[in-house]
Amino acid sequence: MNSIVIDTAFVVATMLVAIGIYGLLNSKNVIRVLLSSEIILNASILLLFSLSSLAGKSYTPLIFSVFAIGMALTEVVVAFASVILYYRQKGSLEVD
Amino acid sequence: MFLTPSDFQVGIFFVFSVLSLAVALFIVNSKNVFYSAVALAFLGMSVAVLIADLDPAVYSLYSAFHLILYVGATVVFLSISLVMFRGLEVKEVRTPWAPAMALLSAVALFAVIVLSTGPIATSSVSIQPLNLAIIGERLISQYWFPAVILVIALLTTMIEALSLARRD
Repeated sequence: MNSIVIDTAFVVATMLVAIGIYGLLNSKNVIRVLLSSEIILNASILLLFSLSSLAGKSYTPLIFSVFAIGMALTEVVVAFASVILYYRQKGSLEVD
Repeated sequence: MFLTPSDFQVGIFFVFSVLSLAVALFIVNSKNVFYSAVALAFLGMSVAVLIADLDPAVYSLYSAFHLILYVGATVVFLSISLVMFRGLEVKEVRTPWAPAMALLSAVALFAVIVLSTGPIATSSVSIQPLNLAIIGERLISQYWFPAVILVIALLTTMIEALSLARRD
């Protein structure tokens, strides 16, 4: 059972990365680019836990993911500050 | 004849896999970024369920952490902050080579996963049971430096959020 679940998790994580890259390349909106990078972040966390589940080492990915989520929170706030400044300067959210 | 708990677990995994992919597609295709940000919360929830379903005894704690901090804080902050902007409609931009590039990167990533995990036999390893005391001990002894960096980063983020909230 576990093997089926882990294999499916690998496939789902890969497809999420593909969707995120598609969103990154296919958008000129700053916020859409940020949201696409968040999809890739979610995929990478799922991949990390799937690999951990396969290898049997449970603590290292758990601690890494706690750091990853904390940094993601910081990244979102910093990125949003940049978006606000960009919006004040340009009056638009579209990138060239 | 009857469903066993493991069948139920696999069923839940497939349902939330499909849900997470559908939500991710909605995020990149929605014309309004506010709806995309709200959909990101559903993606976070789906990923939390998928992680918990991998091994409920080991990963359920992280799953709760993902729900509280990522969905509860990050995505809510993102959604509420979007209200500040006017013109959240996204202009349609189609890059012709984007699907091919996404497909190529997915194939490359999957090949790397298959090649790197091939030698690992799933049945030969047993996952350690979750012990919060060990996690706390490791955070303090082995990972104290990243923990300090994270705390400083979160503090500066709080200051930044306060300065953003000020009207000038």
